[in-house]
Amino acid sequence: MVKVKASELRKKDQDQLKKQVEDFKNELSTLKVAKVAGGAPAKLAKIKIVRKSIATALTVIHEKKLEKVRLDSKGKKYQPLDVRGKRTRAIRRRLTKKQQNKLVLRVLKRKQNFPQRRFAVAK
Amino acid sequence: MAGKPKPDAKKTSKVLKKGLHQRKHKKWTTVRFRRPETKVLSRKPKYARTSVAGKTRLDKFSTFLQPLATEKALKIIETFNTLVFLVDPHADKKQIKKYAEQLYNIKVTKVNTLIRPDGKKKAFIKISPEYEGVDIANKIGII
Repeated sequence: MVKVKASELRKKDQDQLKKQVEDFKNELSTLKVAKVAGGAPAKLAKIKIVRKSIATALTVIHEKKLEKVRLDSKGKKYQPLDVRGKRTRAIRRRLTKKQQNKLVLRVLKRKQNFPQRRFAVAK
Repeated sequence: MAGKPKPDAKKTSKVLKKGLHQRKHKKWTTVRFRRPETKVLSRKPKYARTSVAGKTRLDKFSTFLQPLATEKALKIIETFNTLVFLVDPHADKKQIKKYAEQLYNIKVTKVNTLIRPDGKKKAFIKISPEYEGVDIANKIGII
């Protein structure tokens, strides 16, 4: 058995995906029984594949659930936390680029009116 | 021409002494002071903390970890018509009964559980006499 591909799972809809997960889980339970009752090595190797397939299917299900939320909250000032992107805790607490580069009006005007000049020497 | 009513002399003197805005102090009738009820606003969140509901942690597949096929367990299957499973430690007897009936198409009369010394939960699932324990065990694959 080959591990299921996420790209294939994404073509399916929610109900199909849920059923897929159930099928995988049923298969997993039979494989676990086989492990206890001394199953063939082929079966035992399959356990890992099925576990990972369940994980990919659940990931795709979650992705699809969030799709609609993402569309609804796009461009809005306040987005739900799971739409915002996890990154890391420290990165979330950092100043944004905009906030970092913000200048006082005085300094901004100075920079605009008196930019760093560059001259070239003509040969 | 109607004359303007003269300001009450008593009132004016009181205002001059105590100020224009006099707060009426409520009489405390008890010795103890309790915080008066204040306005409590309900939540109106500007964004959802979790926009998608998470999956339930204990579903019918995750309650049963594995069946036990030890000598003792096999003996119990034969003599008492009872299946022995290792079960998620958070599962309760009601759940075990319900999910066993769903997953294995059996009728469960009762469930006994114990927690092993290594922290895992063992469930003894007694099947009703219309089903043969050995047959069910064969079907599941234990024997």
